[in-house]
Amino acid sequence: MNQQLIDQLQQIGIRLGANGLPYSLPIHPNLVHLTLGLFIIAVLFDVAGTLFPLLKPVLKAFSIPALSSEFYDIGWYNLIAAVGVTFFTVAAGFFELLLANPPTDIKSDWGLGAGTTMLLHGVGGVLLLGVFAGMAVWRGFQRYRWRQGMRQQVQWSYLAVGTVMLGVLFVHGTLGAHLGGDFGLHNTAGNMVRQGENPNQLLQ
Amino acid sequence: MPDLPPLNSSALPYPDPMHPIIVHFVIAMVLFAFCCDVIGYFTHAPKLSNVSFWNMLVASIAIFFAIIVGQFEAGLAPTYPAVEAVLTRHQIIGWSLSVLVVGITAWRFVLRSSFASFEGATPEGATPSRSLFKIPPAYLGAATFLVVLVCLQVYLGSQLVWEYGLHVKPVVQAIEQGDIK
Repeated sequence: MNQQLIDQLQQIGIRLGANGLPYSLPIHPNLVHLTLGLFIIAVLFDVAGTLFPLLKPVLKAFSIPALSSEFYDIGWYNLIAAVGVTFFTVAAGFFELLLANPPTDIKSDWGLGAGTTMLLHGVGGVLLLGVFAGMAVWRGFQRYRWRQGMRQQVQWSYLAVGTVMLGVLFVHGTLGAHLGGDFGLHNTAGNMVRQGENPNQLLQ
Repeated sequence: MPDLPPLNSSALPYPDPMHPIIVHFVIAMVLFAFCCDVIGYFTHAPKLSNVSFWNMLVASIAIFFAIIVGQFEAGLAPTYPAVEAVLTRHQIIGWSLSVLVVGITAWRFVLRSSFASFEGATPEGATPSRSLFKIPPAYLGAATFLVVLVCLQVYLGSQLVWEYGLHVKPVVQAIEQGDIK
């Protein structure tokens, strides 16, 4: 973000703090907790519902009465919540990405520069939102139309796509971790260090 | 003592911090379980009650790993004096949350058993009355307290990473070079 753009934002009343954002803590990484937690658990419970016979002895050992249909309920409701929240995750992500002031002299653990990582993470985020929404529609058809009343509520192909998505999310999430952890985007102490200031005194 | 693996430029023996990832499964599950409880309270939907229970069970398991890995990464983090107060508060609330999350999950389990909605628990073909699935207001009160505490904990954890820069490379580097005093 260059100084002219910062001045433009000031004119409409948006004042950026030491972290380059108009608020003290980034919102995107916090919404990511919800997106990933809900989506991953949704997929895992659909897998668990499908492999239910294998799990029965474990559930019995812990005296937890359960039905496979319950596991599919978690697979469905958690997915819906994940999709709903991910619209906001991506929106907040774009807002904060546009305000980022990336260093140009650092490479991430994967040998990528900050600009490349930002592009991949930004475009990837939009694509992932599309895939999430598509999976929710697909999952809904399986639940309420194609496989209604069947013991196995989800197709093997759905589980396969879900499992692949876990790998894709790992890569995507690691790119995001590089933006925050390797490049220090929107990091208050990181920005202070870059400006030659001492966070230990400024953040008392 | 055997040689420990060398730490990388994030001051960790593995590429990226793991605690912020594991906490997905506490934060998302506790908050979503609460949403299900509130909606379920008004709609008496037995399905949402089950979704809440299983999400809380996931949170109960995840929180132990979150704390173990969190303590490990806190111990390895190069810090400076201004961080200490927030880090201590984050640790105290973290350990308190472990008791609270597991306790509330256990309560949830007892409630679930009393709903008796399972195979063999009801006579063949009988559908249990919907009013059976009503969650007591006291449970909702406890869950509200839990949600508030989780939000506070997320705020403190965000401060540690995004404000103070723990395990963030440029900040780790500055601490190790003695630039932050």
